Amino acid sequence: MTPEPIISTHDLNLWYSDTHALQSIFMKVSKNHVTALIGPSGCGKSTLLRCFNRLNDLIDCVRISGEILLDNENIHAAGTDVVTLRKKVGMVFQKPNPFPKSVYENVAYGPRVHGIKNKVELDTIVEQSLRDAALWDEVRDRINDSALGLSGGQQQRLCIARTLAVEPEVILMDEPCSALDPIATAKIEKLIDTLTRDYTVIIVTHNMQQAARVSDYTGFMYLGKLIEFGQTNQIFENPQEDLTENYITGRFG
Amino acid sequence: MSEKFHRELKGLKQETTEMVRFAREMLSESVNALIHQDFAKARQVVSKKKHIKDLTITLEDRTYQLIALYQPMAKDMRVITCTLKMISAAERIGRYGKDIANMVKHLQDQPDFTQPVPIPHMADQVLKMIDNVISAFETENLEGIKDFSSRDDTVDALWHSIFREMLTFMMENPKTITRGTYSIMVARYLERSGDHACKMAENVHYMVTGERIEIK
Repeated sequence: MTPEPIISTHDLNLWYSDTHALQSIFMKVSKNHVTALIGPSGCGKSTLLRCFNRLNDLIDCVRISGEILLDNENIHAAGTDVVTLRKKVGMVFQKPNPFPKSVYENVAYGPRVHGIKNKVELDTIVEQSLRDAALWDEVRDRINDSALGLSGGQQQRLCIARTLAVEPEVILMDEPCSALDPIATAKIEKLIDTLTRDYTVIIVTHNMQQAARVSDYTGFMYLGKLIEFGQTNQIFENPQEDLTENYITGRFG
Repeated sequence: MSEKFHRELKGLKQETTEMVRFAREMLSESVNALIHQDFAKARQVVSKKKHIKDLTITLEDRTYQLIALYQPMAKDMRVITCTLKMISAAERIGRYGKDIANMVKHLQDQPDFTQPVPIPHMADQVLKMIDNVISAFETENLEGIKDFSSRDDTVDALWHSIFREMLTFMMENPKTITRGTYSIMVARYLERSGDHACKMAENVHYMVTGERIEIK
């Protein structure tokens, strides 16, 4: 049985001025699963990821057609509150980008913006988010120290905790491990696996072994098109498209 | 990196093909030695046992290294897994050749009786199957292995026929029991070699198409 989709796109197209960067994308993202997007540089995978929380709106020359449904609602419908959308669809970037504040303040920032002022409630959210991001045991004694003093891997998990603090439904990860060493990468990958109990994860990665390890579904993109989408095992063991086969066996890209 | 990997994978595949040919020659030469009671030839086959063992270890180690260093995927991974299975099957076929060659010397003092008629024919069938699977592995053209199921049925029928024929000889004359039993074992080893050819064909089919088939 196909799991219930939380996000689906229908004939999604995106242009950067005259450049047709996403071409007629039809895709369903399954709830409480990990979906990986792979493809060579410039194929549109990060652009597609940024569509899901309308981050491309911040770029002037971008034009979009087609539909993106989150929980069966069009995220481009008139009256959609982008702040609420980005609360539901959080994002973790390639390079850890903690605020130059304490560990506590980094995690408490989002809930505060969304109106939570009660100290006890904030404490609970901060602790739970740090626990869920598998960071609590490492920072519990220096919760008020600057986040910039953490290691790269810890900073990235802090960014994940910051995302979790506003209780999103979907977490977008744009190459979350590319700036990390193998041990920190392994911790993030383990974390991604546990996150799917409560969240849906969409991850863009250049590391195909990582996509194969962490994801349930994989989409291969090339020149703005979604060439093949399917269960990760099928994509990596027996892809149906020659382009996918050639890319994942390193013959191009 | 990708070019280096594909160059190494191509080399591994080529050497695995040569190993399967080497095992096929051991089987072929052992049956010839048996038919012609050629003890010198039989000794030669037995002496090749070490080489096939060494080839097994060397090629398996290289396969493991390729997996560890390059984490191959899709078709590349299927080539690697197929190669591993081809190596195991080749080793088994080579050892059956060695086992048949070993019997030649045991048979020299035994009372003579007509060789089971179907053994050369059976060996011919099995060797052709091995040739076809080598060719399919090498060229990725599956045409030659399409009819393996019916060819394996023929080999099985020959094995049962030899079994019955030998039983008849042995019941009529107990002095033929040693020779008869060895002949049954030869037929059995040939039948098993045919099965290995079928298994290799299944793996080559999976390597080329990504789809599983069962040759019964």
